[in-house]
Amino acid sequence: MTGKKLLLQALKENGVQYIFGYTGGAIMPIFDEMDKMGDFHFVMSRHEQGAAFMAQGVSRASLSSNTPQIGVCMTTSGPGAMNLATGIADAHMDSVPIVAITGQVTTGVIATDAFQESDVIGVMMPICKQTYMPLAAEEVEVTVHEAFYVATTGRGGPIVIDIPKDVQNQSVSSEYSFDTKNFRPTLPGFYYHPTPEREPLRRAIEMINRSLRPVLFCGHGVINSNSGALLQQFAEKVNIPIAFTLHGLSALPADHPLSLGMMGMHGTVEANRTIMEADLLISFGMRFDDRVTGRLSEYAQHADVIHVEIDPSEIDKNVACSVAINADVYRTLHVLLGDPMLTFKPRRRWFEKIDGFRQVMAEDLRREIDGGVGDNGRLLMKSIIHRLSELTEGKDLIVPDVGMHQMMAARFYNYQTTNSWFASGGAGTMGASLPMAIGVKLARPAERVWSISGDGGFQMNIQELGTIMEQQLDVKIILLNNGHLGMVRQWQTLFFDGRYAGTPMQSPNFGLIAEAYNIPYRKVDKPEEVASALQQAIEHQGPIMLEFICDASEVILPMIPSDGGFNDMIVKRPKRKKPPATSDGKGEKS
Amino acid sequence: MNRRAILVFMLDRPGVLNKVSMLIRKKMYNVDTLTVCSSRVAGISRMTITLQEDDQAKVTQIIKQLEKFTEVISAKELDTDHSYWREVAIVKLEVDSAHLESFRGRYNFEVLDQKGGDIHILQVAGATGRIDTFLDEVGRQYIIEIARTGVTALEK
Ligand SMILES: Cc1ncc(C[n+]2csc(CCOP(=O)(O)OP(=O)(O)O)c2C)c(N)n1
Repeated sequence: MTGKKLLLQALKENGVQYIFGYTGGAIMPIFDEMDKMGDFHFVMSRHEQGAAFMAQGVSRASLSSNTPQIGVCMTTSGPGAMNLATGIADAHMDSVPIVAITGQVTTGVIATDAFQESDVIGVMMPICKQTYMPLAAEEVEVTVHEAFYVATTGRGGPIVIDIPKDVQNQSVSSEYSFDTKNFRPTLPGFYYHPTPEREPLRRAIEMINRSLRPVLFCGHGVINSNSGALLQQFAEKVNIPIAFTLHGLSALPADHPLSLGMMGMHGTVEANRTIMEADLLISFGMRFDDRVTGRLSEYAQHADVIHVEIDPSEIDKNVACSVAINADVYRTLHVLLGDPMLTFKPRRRWFEKIDGFRQVMAEDLRREIDGGVGDNGRLLMKSIIHRLSELTEGKDLIVPDVGMHQMMAARFYNYQTTNSWFASGGAGTMGASLPMAIGVKLARPAERVWSISGDGGFQMNIQELGTIMEQQLDVKIILLNNGHLGMVRQWQTLFFDGRYAGTPMQSPNFGLIAEAYNIPYRKVDKPEEVASALQQAIEHQGPIMLEFICDASEVILPMIPSDGGFNDMIVKRPKRKKPPATSDGKGEKS
Repeated sequence: MNRRAILVFMLDRPGVLNKVSMLIRKKMYNVDTLTVCSSRVAGISRMTITLQEDDQAKVTQIIKQLEKFTEVISAKELDTDHSYWREVAIVKLEVDSAHLESFRGRYNFEVLDQKGGDIHILQVAGATGRIDTFLDEVGRQYIIEIARTGVTALEK
């Protein structure tokens, strides 16, 4: 038995079906063996970063389902491994378990600056959950099994296994044996505490019963532990509204009467105002990052905090809590729901107040959505997303890129399917959508998948159109082209006196590009064509690309400025002092 | 600022020290000293970190971040009332023997070497503050070179 065979066998034993990657000198033995074994569906990305996002797509879309799978990506040493780094760092920020396998130069030349040698462990260590470098064939199996255990246990995260070429080819000694069935990793220091303790639970229940103005927070942990339905039951049982983090979206139906929508920088007025006035935050599986809290000194000043979180280092990190429950969200909700002490409260005054918050922007938003175009007659992203939501009844899988369109997709799609929203959040990596959608489609083939990008991010991993073509994947591609890096442009409009430095961008003829990849394409610049184009994409079997020519001056509101607090929330578009400095929609000449 | 000590037990695996030092850099902790040695149990190392920090929340956060490493078995803060913190200094001094001898008895030092009359190499062990006062009293102007180990600590 050789290192490469043991590695692939261990992947198989961990349920791996798909391997995303790109070959090269230092990984060739494993690729060769993979081909001979024929047990995996290999997907060649067009850039290693794409492979990391595809692997993320598989994990994100499947882990809380009945058929969980971990995404695996595999590249050569040096440049191949370095190209993975952005996708790994992104997975780390968003707690996505993936396993990355990188070839390394042979042990004999490590540390000599050999051809395509780079210090992969050194680079990856701070941006992933754990790194390994097996130095003998005998270490390979135990390493892979431990890697899968660490990736998925507790808070998820990416793992990097850097494996020298000679170790791939090496045979194990004749005494070697490994008992896969009874394998338990020896990690005396690995902390994992899924069961909630009684005392904090008791105090939490007391506080919940006493609270007049409580609000529930639904974070990524709710999705990861597949607790959306439980959280919904809990919210209904105690009659408390729910605000979502970016990664908590789609844990339960977005239009549930208790839902306040997304919180934070581009969250809804009702979520943010409710938090400002609340006397109790009950947060499940989230980490109070700065996009959620704004300026900490002003955050939820009247509220006590109950923090349920699997990662103890997140508790009291940004926001100090009154009750810490370091446990799995599912188990905690399960115990809470069974507790006879929990009581239903009408909280009429609180809900009346919240209804008021809901009205603050409702009128403006409705007008924009119904109108469908901006002052210059170009399409509005929010209206397109709203139409998509209607036509698909909110049931499809949405993979946004990063930018304004992402916030539009977060806010205006009416998520009905559990775990149907897959976004690069913590890192906010432009270019994530197209490759991530590929992984999502492979993991959930029966569902419709939409990759939604801006013209900036789309061109960061545009080469993965080749992967879609080659794999004949039915990914619906929506390009919201406003000729600008829209999200940054909005900041420039609001905070840089409308000076648009480095945000207008010229784009190629996307129709010709789609044609080159043999992907049907339609360009839409009239509001009356939006629905029919979307309908065409829905009915079309196979990949299709729709390009919408959008209004560059559209803004996503409300907005809490990045150095501001909740009191600084901008809800009205400021009056334009002068006409925009650059012409809108430069990229539309196709 | 208060001086704090954190005692960490960890698996003796490659890269652990790297991880800890990276954490210190990444989170911008104010570390004074860091010492590592093997523990009573084979394969497990013990590390003592001392740092300047008044904010208890920050110290708690450091401990949680350390405990997050799969290689770390335990991490906890030691306080001076319930533990001994000690270090060793080796000092090369140009000073006359009589002056040095006047400290004998009050301070625990050993002359390792004496060269060319006034050049002494001493070893002093004790609490950080104790070593500092010894050096102050002997006279820091006489120091040619000094090496200190950093603090190691043990609970009572
Ligand atoms: C890799 C990367 N580079 C830069 C940024 C900073 N950034 C955030 S949003 C954004 C604009 C995105 O523009 P586009 O893709 O056209 O989408 P839009 O905002 O117009 O919807 C930029 C540049 C980022 N998030 N990721």
